Amino acid sequence: MDEILRPKGSKTMKILVWISIFLIICLSLLSRPSFAEDQTSSSSPRASVFISSSGEPILVAVENRPIQSAESEESVETIADPLEPVNRAFFRFNDKLYFWVLKPIATGYKTIIPEDGRIGVRNFFSNVTTPVRLVNCLLQAKFKGAGNETVRFVVNTILGLAGLFDPAKKYFEIEKQEADFGQTLGIWGMGPVFYIDLPILGPSSLRDGLGYAVDVSLDFRTYLAIYSTIAAYANAGGWVLDKVNETSLTIGEYENLKKAALDPYIALREAYHQNRQSKIRER
Amino acid sequence: MKLSYLYGWSVLLLFLLGVTVPVMAGEPEEKIKQTTDKILSILTDPALKSPSKEGERRKLIRSAVDERFDWEEMARRSLATHWAKRTPEEKKEFVHLFADLLEQVYMSKVEGYSGEKVRYEGERVDGDYAVVKVKIVTKKNRDIPVEYRLKKERGDWFVYDVSIEGVSLVNNYRIQFNSIISRSSYENLVKRLREKAELR
Repeated sequence: MDEILRPKGSKTMKILVWISIFLIICLSLLSRPSFAEDQTSSSSPRASVFISSSGEPILVAVENRPIQSAESEESVETIADPLEPVNRAFFRFNDKLYFWVLKPIATGYKTIIPEDGRIGVRNFFSNVTTPVRLVNCLLQAKFKGAGNETVRFVVNTILGLAGLFDPAKKYFEIEKQEADFGQTLGIWGMGPVFYIDLPILGPSSLRDGLGYAVDVSLDFRTYLAIYSTIAAYANAGGWVLDKVNETSLTIGEYENLKKAALDPYIALREAYHQNRQSKIRER
Repeated sequence: MKLSYLYGWSVLLLFLLGVTVPVMAGEPEEKIKQTTDKILSILTDPALKSPSKEGERRKLIRSAVDERFDWEEMARRSLATHWAKRTPEEKKEFVHLFADLLEQVYMSKVEGYSGEKVRYEGERVDGDYAVVKVKIVTKKNRDIPVEYRLKKERGDWFVYDVSIEGVSLVNNYRIQFNSIISRSSYENLVKRLREKAELR
């Protein structure tokens, strides 16, 4: 095998980055913060039988919570937010960014590109990030999901014109398996630790932020960008396109959240947290 | 030889059972279907399409929703520990404000209906409580999982919580309300709810 030439410094950097991520994960797993959790520890695990609409009983994985768990008087599981003042500031910044920059651009983009095209762009970027989901499925021991993602990638790349279309879902009914490293860490037992509302990137948590960093290292585009400046620019352009495209397809959702909420900051924070928790719970 | 007619009867019986079981959706799911179908029929009714009929359309939708949603239960759960401290008049007012707030929220979503399909994914019944899972299939290649939580009261099933993509409506409001009450007061919460209603 030919030796791949690479700049010397980056190898040490990479090792350092991985060690520090590993240490942070270990520390977080060892010192799990406890916030108002509604663990229904009193109930023993029970298997629940779902009756699907076609009448077949489906045995769902063992469910820990009876249906009306902790819904009456106990405190609801919420996410720690020690950085609230900073987060609120970034929330306001993101709000302005959305209304003053992102939404106008996305609205213009929307008038130029028809919806089918924009769905195609969405499909394309989803296809390209298959390796990230695949690896995380394996790490979570979701072998069926890993298999699905592999099949989806092959089918959509070949039959779906490099991922622009999604015949895997349309004709073979193979659904996408969402998986990221933040979710993997959550399944391994790490709590979110605390909430971070990142400028531009939006709601996240310490765990999910770390997860995102790891996912970036699982994305082949990152390595292309390291070794080629053109690829780096293409990546940046692609990232912006993805963001604008996604916004154009979801205009109105953020507005609805604000309209429905008395405190939009908290509404967003808790929606983010609950959504992440449900993704970790669904096994 | 004698047993052959028994065999015939049992096969017939099995066949009948096989036919009836798939058709039987549980009661909670049936109730959700009924309400959803009612609302969809209002939305697709050509007689109600014109903008002048908007008020009537909204009233019909509201009454269909009121039939299935237990606003008092939702309001009580979203106030949680603060509910017990309220007077009966305050409770009544709060339920009313809460129902109006939610009407603002769902009405715009319902009016924006553009042919999405609803797929029923199953239900789970646990005594007087049930969960109905549904998927809203949008044309944008994204499915939205929705969960209805129902409680059996007076022989009928009523919704007391809706989770969209894993986010429970009641929990979300609970945390917001709790934050506002602990930072200021219940009166301030009511004031903000009234202000929001006026912005309609």
